[in-house]
Amino acid sequence: MPSISPDYLLIQIFNGLVNGGFYALLALGLSIIFGMLRIVNFAHGVMYMLGAFVAYYGAQLVHLPFFAALIVAPIVVGAFGLGIEVLLLRRLYSLDPLYNLLLTFALVLIIEDVMRLAAGALGSPYQTPDILSGATNLGFTVYPTYRLFVIVVCLIVCFAVYLAIERSRLGARIRAATEKPELTRAFGIDTRRLVSGTFAFGAALAALAGVLAAPNTNVSPTMGDSIIINTFAIVVIGGLGSIRGSIVAGFALGIIAAVGAVLYPPISNTLIFIVMVLVILFRPAGLFGTAERTA
Amino acid sequence: MNTSRLFLALSTALAMTLPAAAPVPVGADAGPIKIAVITDMSGVYSAIAGQGAVEATKMAVEDFGGSVLGRPVEVDTIDHRNNGPEAAAKAAEAFDGGAELALDLTNSATAIAVDAVAKQKHKLEIVTGGASSALTGANCSRYTYHYAYDTYALAYSTGHNIARQPDGKTWYGIVPNYVFGQSMLSDFTSAVTSEGGSFVHSDMYPFPGTTDFSSYLLAAKESKAQVLGIFNAGADTVNTMKQVKQFGLDKTMKIAVGLLFLSDVDALPDVFAGSHITTSWYWNQDKAARDWADRFTKRVGGGLRPTSIQAADYSATTQWLNAIKAVGSVDADKVQGYLDGRKFNDFYAHDAQWRARDHSVIHTMIVVDVLDKSVIKEPHAWYKIIETIPADKAFRPEAQSTCNKDW
Amino acid sequence: MIAGRRGAIVGAALLVLGLVLPVIPGVYIVFAIDLVCFALVAVAFDVLLGFTGLLSFGHALFWGGAGYVATIAIAHGVTSFPLEVLAGVAYAFVLSAAVGAISVRRSGIFFAMITLAIAEIQYFLAYQMIDLTGGDNGLTVATRGTFFGLSLEDDHVYYYLVLAITAIATVVAVRIVTSPYGAVLAAMRENENRAKSIGYDTDRFKLAAFVVSGTLAGLAGALYAIGNRLSGLDGVDWHTSGAIVMMTILGGIGTIYGPMIGAAIFQALDFFVSKTPIGDKTNIVMGLVFAIIILIARRGVVGELMHRLRPSVVLPFEDEEPILL
Repeated sequence: MPSISPDYLLIQIFNGLVNGGFYALLALGLSIIFGMLRIVNFAHGVMYMLGAFVAYYGAQLVHLPFFAALIVAPIVVGAFGLGIEVLLLRRLYSLDPLYNLLLTFALVLIIEDVMRLAAGALGSPYQTPDILSGATNLGFTVYPTYRLFVIVVCLIVCFAVYLAIERSRLGARIRAATEKPELTRAFGIDTRRLVSGTFAFGAALAALAGVLAAPNTNVSPTMGDSIIINTFAIVVIGGLGSIRGSIVAGFALGIIAAVGAVLYPPISNTLIFIVMVLVILFRPAGLFGTAERTA
Repeated sequence: MNTSRLFLALSTALAMTLPAAAPVPVGADAGPIKIAVITDMSGVYSAIAGQGAVEATKMAVEDFGGSVLGRPVEVDTIDHRNNGPEAAAKAAEAFDGGAELALDLTNSATAIAVDAVAKQKHKLEIVTGGASSALTGANCSRYTYHYAYDTYALAYSTGHNIARQPDGKTWYGIVPNYVFGQSMLSDFTSAVTSEGGSFVHSDMYPFPGTTDFSSYLLAAKESKAQVLGIFNAGADTVNTMKQVKQFGLDKTMKIAVGLLFLSDVDALPDVFAGSHITTSWYWNQDKAARDWADRFTKRVGGGLRPTSIQAADYSATTQWLNAIKAVGSVDADKVQGYLDGRKFNDFYAHDAQWRARDHSVIHTMIVVDVLDKSVIKEPHAWYKIIETIPADKAFRPEAQSTCNKDW
Repeated sequence: MIAGRRGAIVGAALLVLGLVLPVIPGVYIVFAIDLVCFALVAVAFDVLLGFTGLLSFGHALFWGGAGYVATIAIAHGVTSFPLEVLAGVAYAFVLSAAVGAISVRRSGIFFAMITLAIAEIQYFLAYQMIDLTGGDNGLTVATRGTFFGLSLEDDHVYYYLVLAITAIATVVAVRIVTSPYGAVLAAMRENENRAKSIGYDTDRFKLAAFVVSGTLAGLAGALYAIGNRLSGLDGVDWHTSGAIVMMTILGGIGTIYGPMIGAAIFQALDFFVSKTPIGDKTNIVMGLVFAIIILIARRGVVGELMHRLRPSVVLPFEDEEPILL
């Protein structure tokens, strides 16, 4: 094991922030969806994957530049998510939410296989945009510019979403609809539109993470598989439905995993599950959740 | 409750007394001779083998004349779906239904699962796709031959080729912590140290589940090693290579990739350009290879070139059919007796031999550079051959085999 | 439907089907063995989901884990079939008691998440404990062992043994859920607080159900692994947990016999679709079937059938009367 110099540790923390950024974005979307719809969206990983593919196909077919993809992919996938919510998920709201969980599980099977037939199982090429390639001198190290970009984007988006939900009027309505749906409806607020919009927004966030991931990771139909289970864990740790929880847990676990990966690799992939089990046992509301959410 | 007790009694009684009617295995000495191509038709390995493997096998049968010993030869396609028990069940069904050979087995777990079935049914299995050297080690069997390549051959050839050079002595390994990764590391280490090189350090990263290799890549850079050994496969290799380019590591270190196929490069040429790998065959390596590849491409369409696995399937089929003709029987024991120790040569396997000691089919291997798409002379011409490793060196020496030979 | 004479008739019919399955054209004996094992794990799962409403997303823990333990036993020289099975079942029993103890306190999504997480931990352990499990290569063994002197290598002999064991285990499951204990479970599912206020320790009941479910799933997994003479990572993969859920829902939650049919349909789809020209689209077919069932035929094949015949019965998750006549 290479000796851990302070510089090296700092680099690892940056690496952790990159991964944490992805976790936070994904956990945010999943958490918002759970908070509003009470469903655990298994298809979240697929939205992430579709985001990356929109960027890929965009580049292939219409030379869509990366920065444009950052806007286009979330819109496209958000619309797709909206379609799913309106056509499929909505039918099962009167039932136990576990049915919707299972429905999203079925959707994963279908969508992943369709994408495999369309794009092949191997992977599709996506390059880092030229302007962001290369490295930046941070003083203690030379670090890839693209990764810094990812950290910045994730932080900004997370903060923006947090502000929007905690501070804006729309956010207040969303929170009201989440906590007391009947009462909110009684006030004349169209909760159905809020619900659909929320799902679409969650999907859009996942798609954004997918576009950000495309230059860094293999764009393949199963790229969401490995990330979805970890995202569940993060959402639970942060607190199902808690915006703050998802963001903090996401970044924190990203850093912990990155540091753990060099200190003691064998435990690294199970660490997140062990933490999740502990949280469920001793603080089921999660680090930031409220007690009433423990169903 | 009366009905419940009746139910219980009924079930036990019937289960114990009903005579087991075992169907007679079909095709004992009449009817067509079947080859079961057991491959991944829809998953991660479908491009490496998949439909192309089936086509290559059919091509071999047709070129052979379509029949042997007066019986027609049929090729059956079986999708193992990367599931061990499913592969075993389907293989057993195929064998009982007249298949005399299980071929391809891309995915080591399925290869090993079918290895046991072949042994049980006394039928042959020729593995071209699976990589695990356990097939000629702990899981060696009278009825299984490991045809195309294994982890040792990959490691030895690339390891030796690079470590032989003055700028290839110090290595840093990125190793997934599972059987494949561990075998690659241990085989690469022997190859490198035998040329006077050494591994500065290796990161055994958690597998599966790691998609970010930045920590390890940075550590590799810090170590100032000359060579970066990437001993993973599939999506992991793609991720690692993408991140290698991002960190600019390929500018300062040589990149040795453990396992790569032509189809991988076809999918992601920019990612793999500049790496060094070993393969058993390349479609443009010489005239014989090219002639065959041209026929394959014409047959399959789409302009795609065959991978080494697909060529191996053709070669293995032809050799097996030849053996049957020579022996005058499909009996696995007799064919195995004929093959053991036999030397042969074809467009795929040069200086080849069906090694009797452990059923490793040895042949020359080639070390290649993966070219950048700006310099390739025609589509899919990704490789530049930099060394040919002789058959007796490329594979694990007999003396080191861990096969407990029981035949 | 499960209890009483009607239940016995359905059970007997299934048993007869099981007896003749191997001679149905197109059905290969090993496929039949696998099918019966899956039928049993679906029954095991239904004991939990159908009767306590707890959705476990980690049953691969027991199915795959017991499978590994059984093959590890064989690999270490055990040749007595009862002992091999016992090893696997014991593992599943202890594990389900431990996991159950910590997880039944939670319900709904949290319960599902705990089981999923622990199953993932077992998965990663299986990957890494290569000396014991063979890692990604899997663990193959040369024999199925003997049953009181009878060799089990013949597929047909093994099939009928597995069928007998499954039949007995199913009877046990039916007895449990139709017993007074089962009635308490039903009451708990309907209104847990009321059951608690009467004085039932609901967590204990749930734990018992979980242990029964886990142990039976382990039995099924051990039979499967021994039958195939191999265990591998697919058994402990979360996709397998998902498949078990699908089979049960396909057949009909809360009907015990329904999930057996669900398992048969699921396995048949999986096995046979991959042989057709659309074979490489098997996952799409499975996903579509499952999605359609969830959307419009939630009671599952058997559940829907029962609903036509007896409209008064309703599904466990619809917060009304359970499916017990």
